[in-house]
Amino acid sequence: MRKSLIFTLAGLAVTLAAGAATAGTLENMERERALMIEAMLDPSLGPAERQTRFETSQRRLVDLERMVLRDDSLKGRNTPAVRRAYANYDLTFLVHAGLEKKMAPSDLWLEQVGVSTQSLMAAKKGFR
Amino acid sequence: MRTEQTSQDRPVLRIAVGLAVLIALAGSPPAAAKESGPDWRPQSSERLVKLPATYLKKSLDRDFAESALGTALQGADEEIGLKGKTLADLKNAINQAEDEVRTELRHQFLAEKKAYLDLMSRKNALQRKHAAIKVRLFDDMLQNLNQDKAGETPAKRDLIKRQDAARTRFESSLASVDMAMFRTGTAPESKYAVKYAENVAAIEQLVARIQNHKMNAGPTVDGEQITKQDYLRQMLAEAQSELAIRDQEDVILGHMAKLVALDAMTLAEETLDSDLAAGEAPNRTAPSQAVQYFMSN
Repeated sequence: MRKSLIFTLAGLAVTLAAGAATAGTLENMERERALMIEAMLDPSLGPAERQTRFETSQRRLVDLERMVLRDDSLKGRNTPAVRRAYANYDLTFLVHAGLEKKMAPSDLWLEQVGVSTQSLMAAKKGFR
Repeated sequence: MRTEQTSQDRPVLRIAVGLAVLIALAGSPPAAAKESGPDWRPQSSERLVKLPATYLKKSLDRDFAESALGTALQGADEEIGLKGKTLADLKNAINQAEDEVRTELRHQFLAEKKAYLDLMSRKNALQRKHAAIKVRLFDDMLQNLNQDKAGETPAKRDLIKRQDAARTRFESSLASVDMAMFRTGTAPESKYAVKYAENVAAIEQLVARIQNHKMNAGPTVDGEQITKQDYLRQMLAEAQSELAIRDQEDVILGHMAKLVALDAMTLAEETLDSDLAAGEAPNRTAPSQAVQYFMSN
């Protein structure tokens, strides 16, 4: 009886160690990042409000990005969302990559999507 | 007045019957080798595949000991032990006995040897079954492990590579990122960051203990660490060698059975010879012996 209990516990420990994983970290981070970019591009927001929302998102994103980067359940999960997330570190982990490069996340995002001061200055008005 | 003896009264005839059985035993495969009888059905489950290599063998041994096959094998071992003692006792008794008692004891000795061989044959069949099940199990486990690796497509490998690179970049930039955040004050340390740091310290302590735990030690061969696949392959080879040994033991049992049969023939012949020597010569009738009855009327 005692022996079988010990073996059951050992088996349970192995199962728990193998199955411990959280889901949804990537989705949460993408949602927050989308909100931050939305705040950045929303023409209806004033500068102060934009800045407040931007900073709130940035604080949340620091943690959310770390959660994604530390999430072992995402390792090798070959889905389009995960593949796309890891295709470009700078674009996905905006806050960490920005601080690493000493850039504001918004500047880094614009740079990554190909919008720069020079490109804007060189832009011409007209039909496509 | 002579009375008719039945086959039960004549040990010689009984030996002859036993002899036929022994010859059949020596010539045919063991009956217990068939699929019926006590069984053990370990499954190559994910849990089993994930067990630490050193723990795997003990877990399987324990599972086997609790199975019907394991119980039957243990029972066979005990029976063989008792039968061995009976044989030793009979052998001693034969050395001390004389005449008819000795013959009777020799007959019993042969019968017990036959019973011993039956038991050994049964045990061998059980052991063969055990080894065959282990071979199948380790084969399945190796296949499962290889499938896990084979399931890695180039795209998945590429993704894992990118994830590793991202993790490395993140770890290496973590300190500078933290410094930058504190300096700018844009992101003060969050509840998650504080709790995470506390938990990391606890996790590191636990991981250190796990790494040093004797049950977590990887399998070794001659002091060298080996992979789980190598360990399974080694256990598979051991199970296969066990099967080969069982084959060889079957040959030994066949030879033993043949010797018992030959001994039985010798004993039967000796008994017949002594019967013939003790009895009078048969009184055969011939026509010439009746001639006198035809010489007068």
